[in-house]
Amino acid sequence: MSQLIRIEIDRLEGTLLRVLGLIERRGFHIDGLELTGIDEDTRLATITVRPRDEKRSIDTLGLQIDRLYGIKRLKGPKTAAAEDQQKISA
Amino acid sequence: MSTNKPTGAQLVISTLKALGVDVLFGYPGGAIMPIYDALAGSGLRHILVRHEQGASFAADAYARATGRVGVCMATSGPGATNLVTGIANAYMDSVPMVCITGQVGTSLLGTDGFQEVDLIGMTLPIVKHSWLVRDPAQIPSVIARAFAIAKEGRPGPVIVDIPKDVAASFVEVSDMGELPAYVPPAPDMKAIAAAASMIENAKKPLFYIGGGVHMAEADQELRDLVARTGIPVVSTLKGIGTISTYEDLYLGMLGMHGTRAANIAVNEADLLIAIGARFDDRATGKLSAFAPNAKIVHFDIDPAEINKTRRADVAVIGDLKIALPALNPKIGDLSEWVKFNKDNKWQHRFKYDAPGKGIYAPALLKSLSEKAGEKFIVACDVGQHQMWVAQHCEFTQNRAHLTSGGSGAMGYGLPAGMGAKLALPDHHVVTVSGDGSFMMNIQEMATLRRYGIPLKIVLLDNSSLGLVRQWQELFYEENYSEIDLSDNPDFVEVAKAFGISAFRITLRHEVEGAIDRLLAADGPTLLHVLIDPRENVWPLVPPGASNTEMMEERWDESIDSY
Repeated sequence: MSQLIRIEIDRLEGTLLRVLGLIERRGFHIDGLELTGIDEDTRLATITVRPRDEKRSIDTLGLQIDRLYGIKRLKGPKTAAAEDQQKISA
Repeated sequence: MSTNKPTGAQLVISTLKALGVDVLFGYPGGAIMPIYDALAGSGLRHILVRHEQGASFAADAYARATGRVGVCMATSGPGATNLVTGIANAYMDSVPMVCITGQVGTSLLGTDGFQEVDLIGMTLPIVKHSWLVRDPAQIPSVIARAFAIAKEGRPGPVIVDIPKDVAASFVEVSDMGELPAYVPPAPDMKAIAAAASMIENAKKPLFYIGGGVHMAEADQELRDLVARTGIPVVSTLKGIGTISTYEDLYLGMLGMHGTRAANIAVNEADLLIAIGARFDDRATGKLSAFAPNAKIVHFDIDPAEINKTRRADVAVIGDLKIALPALNPKIGDLSEWVKFNKDNKWQHRFKYDAPGKGIYAPALLKSLSEKAGEKFIVACDVGQHQMWVAQHCEFTQNRAHLTSGGSGAMGYGLPAGMGAKLALPDHHVVTVSGDGSFMMNIQEMATLRRYGIPLKIVLLDNSSLGLVRQWQELFYEENYSEIDLSDNPDFVEVAKAFGISAFRITLRHEVEGAIDRLLAADGPTLLHVLIDPRENVWPLVPPGASNTEMMEERWDESIDSY
């Protein structure tokens, strides 16, 4: 099952490589990639990813992307941890 | 060209000093020459290692022993690639480290210049962050940011790669700038309340603690939590020392070479409270059979660890130093569960009355740790001796068990001991190594000699790659492949040639006297211990098996479930 991840990437050397490398390394195919400029410092990357096997969690991937510096995740898998927090709050 | 302006290289040194660095480990070379030029006479203490891998391991251990950022330095190309094993090691075990590397000049970048490698590219999977600095004016702010990133949240290694011309050029502006203050994420109090409620409803709760506790400097908070709840504790390899090994409720390490009591407890528990641990495969064994009866509460600062391999029923994300004191469950009667675990601990305690006159390494290591006492810090290499240290040494202090956990990097022990001894000179720092591992960074004995670092070394020599041999014996039908090291050099003579005192023991009755002599020695000293190559590490969970299927040392050495 493919899923869309949308992130803001600082226009810094290596940032795009970090994101794409992480996605492949953590067990996902990259089926699509679109890169557009937002402003002088920032680009928007829309990435379509698909897990290589069913054990790969897209929620975990999202959180691993969040750990990178120079990127901001705008849209993507909601985190399971966040769901738990919501359950607790509800 | 005004000489009043600093160079990029001078800014590197002045920034390191401003950040409070007191020692760094490195090795000069072509592309980093401007930085070494600025280093000379700067007052910054630099330890010249004899291989860059030694620099990265020493910086790693300095960081583990102190909680401060470790710093290493190397030139471009082979200098930088020699750091890589140490960077991976720091990444796997979440150690705060900053590596400053020289790089070929910017005009040569991408041209296959002499000693050019794309260090940033090749280390992307094993760094927390990295920079190639193109503007010398940014050097102070980048290095300051590197230190902050290395240390904040879940720590890790950071690289600052500086091209030669950037280091050599004069700079107009030179200021670290203001760093945004780091505030550790505060845990959600509702999640903590939910965790407390699960603990209150559990009949067989168990703490499963990892290296994250001491990294959060929450050791005392954890000890207090254990004291006020009375819940038993198992530890990962990296968590060893967080709870005193003498603590009644402490059941030992879990996992592949864990204690039987710890693995039984995990199997029986109805609630596993993971604290700064990441459900690593060596700890869990067969994941589907791990803690099969337990719900999971997971405390961690890194949200990406929650649900990564085992789904948590409640997650508490944030600083353990805040979260643990806030956890105040009303505990019911756990006496039956506690008794069950204490009985197991007693019944399956390690025995040290091995037959024969040869030296029994587990007994030696236990005695070493007891004699060294509260000031004991051990830096392990990787293999059987590493597991024996984890199983048999007594620890009362955190940050005392320095071991290459996630990475399992042979060659760590000697440079790590060096880094730890320089950081904490009043401690009994002992490197425990094997004859395979020791040869991987044996050159660092020259560094011990040069700086007079009084590190003590226990070299357990079974003339083979013992852990590989053990697996070949047990799981590859005794097909021994490339594990024989019986043509090792005479390690006592080698040590003496480096200017290190050394002596050898071969019989059991020599052990106590040798440990006393080693700990009392003034300078760097090596104790060479000959042990039986047939000795194995027990108990052992076979690969792919559940943690309850532990193999024990028996006459028939058969697998049995408890």
